[in-house]
Amino acid sequence: MIWSTYETMARDQMEKLQLERLKQTVRRVYDHVPHYRAKLNELGINPEDIQSLEDLKKLPLTVKNDLRDNYPFGLFAVPQKEVVRYHASSGTTGKPTVVGYTKNDMETWTELIARIVTMAGVSAEDTAQVSFGYGLFTGAFGLHQGLERVGASVIPISSGNTEKQIMIMQDFGTTALIGTPSYALHMAEVAKSMGIDPKKDLKLKWGLFGGEGSTEAMRRELQDAWGIFVTENYGMSELIGPGVSGECKALCGMHISEDHFIPEIIDPETLEVLPPGSVGELVITTVTKEALPLIRYRTKDITSLHYETCDCGRTTVRMAKIQGRTDDMLILGGVNVFPSQIEEVLFNTEGIGPHYQIKVFKKGYLDKIEIDVELIDDNLLESFGQLEALKQTIRSRLRTVLGIDAKIHLHEPRTLARFEGKAKRVIDMREVK
Amino acid sequence: MLIDQLSVFVENRHGALAAVTDALYRYGVDIRAIAVFDTTEFGIVRIVVDKPEEALKDLKADGFVAKLSKVIAVEPIDKPGSLNELFHIMGDNGINIEYIYSFVMRRREMPYVVFKTDNQEKALQILKDKGLNTVVDL
Repeated sequence: MIWSTYETMARDQMEKLQLERLKQTVRRVYDHVPHYRAKLNELGINPEDIQSLEDLKKLPLTVKNDLRDNYPFGLFAVPQKEVVRYHASSGTTGKPTVVGYTKNDMETWTELIARIVTMAGVSAEDTAQVSFGYGLFTGAFGLHQGLERVGASVIPISSGNTEKQIMIMQDFGTTALIGTPSYALHMAEVAKSMGIDPKKDLKLKWGLFGGEGSTEAMRRELQDAWGIFVTENYGMSELIGPGVSGECKALCGMHISEDHFIPEIIDPETLEVLPPGSVGELVITTVTKEALPLIRYRTKDITSLHYETCDCGRTTVRMAKIQGRTDDMLILGGVNVFPSQIEEVLFNTEGIGPHYQIKVFKKGYLDKIEIDVELIDDNLLESFGQLEALKQTIRSRLRTVLGIDAKIHLHEPRTLARFEGKAKRVIDMREVK
Repeated sequence: MLIDQLSVFVENRHGALAAVTDALYRYGVDIRAIAVFDTTEFGIVRIVVDKPEEALKDLKADGFVAKLSKVIAVEPIDKPGSLNELFHIMGDNGINIEYIYSFVMRRREMPYVVFKTDNQEKALQILKDKGLNTVVDL
């Protein structure tokens, strides 16, 4: 089922709509946001200069620091009394990034989520357990509103208290699980230790995961562990929260709601706009947001855009799975590696579990990588040599596939950190002396 | 006779062995013999217990990576050179002993020797042919 007719709009119609909305947005930020007015003046651009979608690239890029520098409400295009909701990013250092929503923004957001949950298979028939943490983070409230909009029965259980989550899942007959993929993996493990077989004892059908990147290997892992159909969705609080894009059942990328967001792919080094299909940094312009419109926001996420019509019938552009983030790319002894690539190698290695931790530090002038994994295969207990061989296998695969040399540490199951929200898999100690 | 031995994966850190024995104690499993060899990061604890099947289930439920494997337990004859004889029998017949440890049972004089070879069936047959006493019931 397709929630909105905007999702199947013909390209020329969509572009017409986007242009009209883009013009309004540029006018809006020019009139109401001093930061943008100054930037446009600096570049000698007048809102009237925007006459085609091609003109988008004349506009200045926005980065996360622009939000921080204008903390808390400096980039808002409406007075505070128009704001009906605040959220904030989970900034780990310093001040968080604050975002706001007007009444209309809330309506837009709810509709966007209704689209992605429908795409993922959820309907009024479903009971949806929202295992994102409720609070300033946009994930929980975002999904919550859209799930209610499609008529699903929502369980706002939040994250944590995993055993109780499993109990409720069983007792309420939850059919859709919503959360981060890493927490969903952890929950599966806890369910198993409680003696519950998700495939037999639970009614789960759908898994809608987001809030952090994930790999195809992780999707398989989640599908196997829970016996569910897994889709991923994408968003970030600066843009609106979740709801920017989501996967349909064809699983060939995440459909971006283009009537609200205009995506571009740029080369993160030269900042040049790249043609469709190229891999680069995703840049998004919000064209309907009232409280916090953003022009050409650099997401730091590495992906590509695909415009061919999808098997599901939607005409909206699809973004590929996030390959990594420009700022979490590790440069290890001169080799560029995304943690997601390491994850892919680990997930495809038999004998170890899905939890891991990457530690990077300097020894002299050299980058050293150590990876902690958990042993799960009891067949390797015949001899010590088999365990050593497993370590060697992982090490040589990482060397062949990624060109990095990592020391592997085997740990007992359930000893590495588990995450209820976004997973923190990389500890880079190189800057810390 | 091959007997069941538990193999449990443990990290080399304080409390790791206690976690295993805690679990066994909690489930009322009696340990007959235990061996861990010198390792750096992690090791495999070998344990002979009175209720191997139950112990395996319990350890797994507690999240340990554990498995049951078959080992040979023999009671060497109490005379000088009997271990030497045992190793010769194995070696001369092309059987490699992967690991070995011994333990004493109360009210018995001789220790049992527990070991794992690369060809358990053949090893057993040879021991039997040579009239060595393989332990049936611990």
